[in-house]
Amino acid sequence: MKNIFFTLIALLSITTLQAQVDRTVVPQPGPAPEINLKSPTSFELPNGLKVLIIEDHKLPRVSYSLTLDNPPIAEGEKTGVSTLTSRMLGQGTQTISKDDFNEEVDFLGARISIGVNSAFATGLSRYSDRILELMSDAAINPNFKPEYFEDEKKKLIEGLKTSEKDVSQISNTVSNALAYGKAHPKGEFVTEESVNRVALNDVIDFYQDQFAPSKAYLVVVGDVEYEAIKKKITDAFSTWKKASPLSLTYSKPSDAQYRQINFVDMPNAVQSEIKVQNLVELKMSDPDYFPVILANYILGGGSAGRLFKTLREEKGYTYGAYSSIGNDKYNPSLFRAGASVRNEVTDSAVIAFLEEIDNFIEKEVSNEELRTAKAKYTGNFVMALEDSETMANLALNIEVNDLSKDFYRTYLEQIDAVTREDISRVAKKYLNPGQMRIVVVGKGSEVIPDLEKLSYKGRNIPIFYYDKKANKTDKPEFGSDVPEGVTIGTVLNNYIQAVGGKAKLEDVASVFMTAKASMQGMNLDLEIKKAQGKFLVDTKMQGNSLSKQVFTGDSAFVISQGRKQALPKERVEEMRKTAMPFPELEWLDSDQVSLEGISKIGERDAYVVKVSDNQNYYYDVETGLKLREESTVKMGQQTMLQQSNLSDYQDVKGVMFPFKMTQTVGPQEIEMNVVYVKINEGISDSDFQ
Amino acid sequence: MKKKFLAGFLALFTVCYAGAQKVEFEEYDLDNGLHVILHQDNSAPVITTSVMYHVGGKDRKEGRTGFAHFFEHLLFEGTENIEKGEWDKLVSSHGGSGNAYTSQDVTYYYESFPSNNLELALWMESERMLHPVIKQEGVDTQNEVVKEEKRMRYDNSPYGQLLPVVSKALFSEHPYKDPNVGYMEDLDAATLEEFKEYFEKYYAPNNAVLVIAGDIDLSRTKELVEDYFGPIPRGAEVQRNYPLEDPIEQQINLKTYDPNIQVPALITAYRTPGQQSKDSYVLNMISRYLSGGRSSKLYKKLVDEQKQALQVGAFNLEQEDYGMYIVFSLPLGDTPLETLEQEIEEEVSKLRTELISEKDYQKLQNQFENSFVNSNSSVEGIANNLANYYMLYGDTNLINSQLEIYRNITREDIRDVAIKYLLPRQKAVIEYLPENNQ
Repeated sequence: MKNIFFTLIALLSITTLQAQVDRTVVPQPGPAPEINLKSPTSFELPNGLKVLIIEDHKLPRVSYSLTLDNPPIAEGEKTGVSTLTSRMLGQGTQTISKDDFNEEVDFLGARISIGVNSAFATGLSRYSDRILELMSDAAINPNFKPEYFEDEKKKLIEGLKTSEKDVSQISNTVSNALAYGKAHPKGEFVTEESVNRVALNDVIDFYQDQFAPSKAYLVVVGDVEYEAIKKKITDAFSTWKKASPLSLTYSKPSDAQYRQINFVDMPNAVQSEIKVQNLVELKMSDPDYFPVILANYILGGGSAGRLFKTLREEKGYTYGAYSSIGNDKYNPSLFRAGASVRNEVTDSAVIAFLEEIDNFIEKEVSNEELRTAKAKYTGNFVMALEDSETMANLALNIEVNDLSKDFYRTYLEQIDAVTREDISRVAKKYLNPGQMRIVVVGKGSEVIPDLEKLSYKGRNIPIFYYDKKANKTDKPEFGSDVPEGVTIGTVLNNYIQAVGGKAKLEDVASVFMTAKASMQGMNLDLEIKKAQGKFLVDTKMQGNSLSKQVFTGDSAFVISQGRKQALPKERVEEMRKTAMPFPELEWLDSDQVSLEGISKIGERDAYVVKVSDNQNYYYDVETGLKLREESTVKMGQQTMLQQSNLSDYQDVKGVMFPFKMTQTVGPQEIEMNVVYVKINEGISDSDFQ
Repeated sequence: MKKKFLAGFLALFTVCYAGAQKVEFEEYDLDNGLHVILHQDNSAPVITTSVMYHVGGKDRKEGRTGFAHFFEHLLFEGTENIEKGEWDKLVSSHGGSGNAYTSQDVTYYYESFPSNNLELALWMESERMLHPVIKQEGVDTQNEVVKEEKRMRYDNSPYGQLLPVVSKALFSEHPYKDPNVGYMEDLDAATLEEFKEYFEKYYAPNNAVLVIAGDIDLSRTKELVEDYFGPIPRGAEVQRNYPLEDPIEQQINLKTYDPNIQVPALITAYRTPGQQSKDSYVLNMISRYLSGGRSSKLYKKLVDEQKQALQVGAFNLEQEDYGMYIVFSLPLGDTPLETLEQEIEEEVSKLRTELISEKDYQKLQNQFENSFVNSNSSVEGIANNLANYYMLYGDTNLINSQLEIYRNITREDIRDVAIKYLLPRQKAVIEYLPENNQ
């Protein structure tokens, strides 16, 4: 159907046809539009509830939004108590049954939802009074029926199951838990066990501790009259008893000691979820707030960000790659960059993230990038003011985040004042690439081999494995790939054969080896001696001993700078294993080692032999030679992966020795080149004292 | 705010309707056939400029699915005057934001800006319509990106196969049978030439509507529209004669497996008429009746009282040629899917045999009024609604009058539509089951 304007317009447009435009030039914007920042009118009830009202009569509707600005609480072994409390709210009131309540809300065409930290209601303004009454009644006089509680518990547990195989959900849970720790309010998560520990009394206590008006704000927007609604609100919320929410402290999270990959295996994943993150301390009221939001926008705030451009538009790895930097007045929050990428490019995508982040820190952003970012924030701000609810939220933000009263009046000026130097400064301050966790959730069998090989700027990135509940685990095994007929015995025998045969090895009573190594620019000389279950490593620089590790057969110690220090029990046991020149000979007749499967070491397939709970050896499938010795070691609170890659096997009197050993401990890598190996000479018992 | 309602209408609905704002608009055609709709609202300095093309997933040849969605990506790759990679930058650097979506029927591109950027927005959308750059390089990149989108939305997400599975069950001839995003092998096989032909065929001004809404000056806007869009040549008229489906005469039973889930789902689905039909409106009401809000029939019975379901939802997926009415439920605990099916059928059968109560009827009216009031609350939303009503319903003024249609639906209509479309023999019952890892 055509409108009556049709003919009129057709006539008009003829007269303007001749105007020409130059399509090759980007049209310039007209003069900046004026903005009109509405302020709410406000009042406070004696119980502490603050009310902010913005009248907007454009549409016949109203919304009520209650926010409780409570400090976060760790729920500990009963994590889920807050979720259950929220779910128990809004199920009727002490005087209105659940059915009647639901029926009336729906009948009004309204929506009311109530949680332990917030409540929201909206509907047609002709029902505004009743909607307010229903909302306040349900919030202040909840109906905690045992029967409902059992239902909600069951539904919550069942709901957990629906997301058990949800890759992005697991990625969120695990990356938060790893960032903040599982005991922190921002790191803890709901499990079936924790839900089962919650009783109705816990919910009632939690509600009584938390649902208090002293830090509560009610924001009203819509087709209401101030005086009338003020009276209604006073009636509806005055019975809310004056109280303050509980506030507790908990330990402060810290970043990983060094950059690492934290991997969670999800066999059903067809994409890997990658999150690269470190902790940040930022409040909205900090002077850095504006440079930080602009910096993040340039790096990965949207489809014009660098991450999106590189990972999606240039490389086609993902549907979208973004970053964010949170702010929180109570807690640390996160810098986080992430994307869902297809399995094959998981390793390349990790590198792309690290490169973009480093590049962002090292090089100043261009003028154009900064100009674009400022324009984006300016435009968003101007456009957001179309919505009265947004304006009300700005006013709420000022209260909740302790912002200066003119924060939003000067918003555009503050955006405009940010310089390229500011961006560089905050990039260096808030992005911490050396300690970033790279949390990858994906299909291990397809993704791990490439991730393990991953090196960035010449350094291997250590990888640690976690389960879906953020517990540390062993590297996942992908099974039955060991060919028929291969056993632990054949693997050990092949190795023994490859390095010279049983008879030759049994003749080796001692080994004396010297090697050269370089570490952080220092040239080191190493002397390694092994004999009859004893073991010594002397590390020298320019002829002086830096440290000397000795295993005497029953105890172990380190002599460093003239001081002798005994080693802990676990290290003693480890050294006992490595003290033999060829421990494989012993294992032939024992059941203390086992064959775990096949894994890739570089390009080579290798049998994985589990030597102990925290030690694996790898043997080349084709040549039988040992390619790697790997162990996890504890250093203070941290667990680290230590690897020795063995290569360049050479013949010494009919026995093959690796002449090159590359050792990685955490982020450090040391390459050792053997100078000579002596068999059955150059060693005396006094060496091991 | 103007209130120009027919006297009779006003008399009937004075109470309910008095406050709702009328959306004023003008519409006209350019000589090249481009339909233009202008809506002026100077209360905030915001504009939205959008183009809806009458091309969607269903517009394809057999073996070449997913083209419209692919073009949604491709048409951000640049134009003769906007270099590759510049599109988003142009939007952002002028403080704007924009995006696009594709359905089986239409593709919608839009940008919102502070209102001093009207000319820029018109330039950009006219560039896209006049001469986008369609090159192998862009095709290759977007091919990867679309695959990632598909993996993320469908293959890696719990219950992600729902729509493709339902479409396949309900359609065997009409192109709605295939997923909107297309089959990846079709996109891999498509040649650059085919993409260019597709653009020629579907992206001409006479197959599109341009909407400009917000803080504009009407006469200045009309001049600019003519300047930027007037010179774009008209294309051949698009002919569509997609095969019709035979009625479903026997219940379809299917099983499908998803590796991303632990809890199975039961889906019952019906094929329904195109969205212009009044019956489609009635089905929207039936959806609300069954599952909108906690007091709705299915929610109250299955989730609240009998505790057999974790979740239940009914929705009428409106489309141009046919719709899909889908009831989705997740069992709670050990409830067999069969039980859910029976319980749901019991409620649907009541719709066929009894009239809904007067009170429930009034409740539905209140709910639809509330949605109606909220549907035109932002400039961006109004622009989208105007485009939709023009292109898919053929009546732009539905933006003001759609509530009337709901008002005129009677309790008897609801019963009759349930009898016509929601019979047991017309439904597909899909058991959506977890696939165990190997």
